[in-house]
Amino acid sequence: MRKLLLASAAALALALTGCSGAAAPQGDGGDAPATLRIAAALPNNSFDPSQLQTGNLVQYWQPVYDTLLVLDTDAALQPNLATEWAYDDARTTLTLTLRDGVAFTDGSAFDAEAVKANMDHFKEGSGSNASMLASVSDVAVVDPTHVALTLSAPDPGLLNYLTTVAGAMASPDSLDDPDVATEPVGSGPYVLDTEKSVAGATYVYTRNEDYWNPDAFPYDSLTVTVMEEVTARLNALRSGEIDGALIDAKSAAEAEKSGLTLNVHRLDWQGLIIADRDGSKVEALGDERVRQALNYAFDRDGYTEKVLQGRAAASTQIFNDQSIAFDAALDDAYSYDPEKAKELLAEAGYPDGFTLPMPQSPLFAASNDIIEQQLADIGVTVEWTKVVSEQYIPTVQSGDYGAFIMQLSSGNEWRDVYKSIASAGPWNPRHTEDPEVERLIAEAAVAPSDEEYASALQELNAYVVEEGWFAPIAFADTIYATKDVTVTPQPQNVVPSIRNFTD
Amino acid sequence: MLVFIARRLGGGLVLMLGISFIAFALVFAGGSHAAHSILGQDADAAAIAAKEAELGLDQPFIVQYGTWLLNALRGDFGHSWFNSEQVVDLIGTRLPVTLSIVTVSVLLTALVSVLLGMTAAIRGGWLDRAIQFVSVAGVALPNFWVAIVLVVIFAVTLGWLPATGYVPFGDSPSRWVASITLPVVALLFAGIASTAQQIRGATIDVLSRDFVRTLRARGLSERSVIGAHVLRAAAGPALTVLSLQFIGTIGGAVVIEKVFALPGLGLLGVNATIKGDMPVIMGVLIVTAVIVVLVNLVIDIVNGWINPKARLA
Repeated sequence: MRKLLLASAAALALALTGCSGAAAPQGDGGDAPATLRIAAALPNNSFDPSQLQTGNLVQYWQPVYDTLLVLDTDAALQPNLATEWAYDDARTTLTLTLRDGVAFTDGSAFDAEAVKANMDHFKEGSGSNASMLASVSDVAVVDPTHVALTLSAPDPGLLNYLTTVAGAMASPDSLDDPDVATEPVGSGPYVLDTEKSVAGATYVYTRNEDYWNPDAFPYDSLTVTVMEEVTARLNALRSGEIDGALIDAKSAAEAEKSGLTLNVHRLDWQGLIIADRDGSKVEALGDERVRQALNYAFDRDGYTEKVLQGRAAASTQIFNDQSIAFDAALDDAYSYDPEKAKELLAEAGYPDGFTLPMPQSPLFAASNDIIEQQLADIGVTVEWTKVVSEQYIPTVQSGDYGAFIMQLSSGNEWRDVYKSIASAGPWNPRHTEDPEVERLIAEAAVAPSDEEYASALQELNAYVVEEGWFAPIAFADTIYATKDVTVTPQPQNVVPSIRNFTD
Repeated sequence: MLVFIARRLGGGLVLMLGISFIAFALVFAGGSHAAHSILGQDADAAAIAAKEAELGLDQPFIVQYGTWLLNALRGDFGHSWFNSEQVVDLIGTRLPVTLSIVTVSVLLTALVSVLLGMTAAIRGGWLDRAIQFVSVAGVALPNFWVAIVLVVIFAVTLGWLPATGYVPFGDSPSRWVASITLPVVALLFAGIASTAQQIRGATIDVLSRDFVRTLRARGLSERSVIGAHVLRAAAGPALTVLSLQFIGTIGGAVVIEKVFALPGLGLLGVNATIKGDMPVIMGVLIVTAVIVVLVNLVIDIVNGWINPKARLA
């Protein structure tokens, strides 16, 4: 018995000697900052350039792959691997001038041939973002520093896509190598250290000594650790193990108390997608007065305060507040007015309301009951069908439901239009076609100036708000917490770009 | 003995075949959403269809299962549909993490349970009641709650131990110990609670047996009676409980893995199941089945060595 006790005491002593302070705090002050340590909420998918994703995953590939253009923190286009860009008058040929003297880490040159190889690989790959280059029918090598893209139709989103996954450049030799999914070869500011990295857990990047723009990246190395639980990320921030991570509204108060800095912008809207605009599934939804009634039913301010803890902004539109298509005036379009809603329903021929079948998922547990209640208050009875979380998106995208609750991100305005409003978009599940919508999209596509482009999109936004295509409730805050580093949120993306971090 | 082992291993192989078939069928029956998980929620129908064709999801069940089985028999468990890593590599990096925390916690559970259980049984009185109270509390407290409390106190507030992450033993033994301390302590509570009770019960039972009275009558010291004989007899049920705990914790540690961001096997399995990443799901299942078979085999052999009466012919 005594021996057992002694053995246990020895083991405990050994354990405590290992605790030489949790994680050594990073050297502050002094010369060059050492390592930037951030946590990612999702594990990486692949380094294959055709499979890259936006959103949370950009922090994995941005260290190794440069993009042709960069979107700065004011959402303006900046040169990067491409130094100049110009459309012809018809806006169907885009000529890019490429930076000279850049090489990939395997020694191959970055030139027009490399751009062509990357773009062809991206378009033909089975990645989810391949459609970003759908309008590009040909990539022509003019000379080593000039590329001409031929478009099948004007595409206002193209330049924006070249600032993200569609513009990410990898060594052409690596594109055919099956190992590219786990061993990227780029021209970016860092190189992935495959020895120190553990797939799906920790990604370690060290400085690319030959990088052409070292001043833009002050850190010598970068560690991205996968931490899928927000609790783990918050604890790691508080204990100084990491410098930055995404948290949520529920952890925000605690984060502030611990002295963390909250960097906030708004990207995700929550509310209803009223998919059945021609009433073929739920007859009542075919009348725009019914859809407008649904918009009057929601107490957006109450929802923002109570459900989202005040860390949100009420909204009636699906475009984020920094988007070109956003119109502040539209947020007054629908007040909280159940009486008016009932009037509209009566006018449309539904004085006693109607039944609305909707899929019910634990994903929206915080909102399901409130939405059901507020719809019941205007006479609309929700008939729930339970759906497993993993099946929710395939289910709602199948078009089987006239309306459903959803949370979608709003980024680049053209992509938002494509995914939610255009008839082929994945978030237009019943593929509603509307001549006015088509007209406005076409007008925006060929708009000769930025002002006319913005005005066409704002008109489109106003139209879908008036027609009640959606019933948005609020844009939730996206909160990136940091400790001892400075960062600016990246427009149109949930997490900041690697270049947005400074000491 | 060798025949016994061989028969057990053979049975294990049949078990794995059965489990793999049932699991594959269950995941298949749920409908695959793997393409959606891989491509993200904004992917359009054409991209989804292309990805499903690429993964062979449009093939009938038997073809999909058969392909997997034939490859598995050759040792090729494929690669994750989600991140293209080899399943064998993924499991290889994650298994040591889970095994570390599970093995250490089960060993410590055994140690502490024997101490507490036998003390409770032998001394009785207020000590017995106190230990029983602690045991009940241990079972009642959810281990993730314990984990979070430990992190807040020892990692965030006091800064004595890391809040997240795992350091491999090969990198730094002392930091390995530091990184598994809080997870192991969180797992200990419930484990000790049930095992201590088991051992207490078994010890009380053995102490009342005739052979103990005889040994005492023959003049053996109390320490010898307890240490050499009672412990041996009570070991049987204790080992069974510990083996069950070991197996249960391999998968059940997933909540602890989440709280501490440990790249373990449980988390790999749960995430793969949520995403519909079939090759990884199957890989984790096979590895778990192997562990179960081996643990049961080892426990039976140890049991036989400790207690000759339990030996099989």
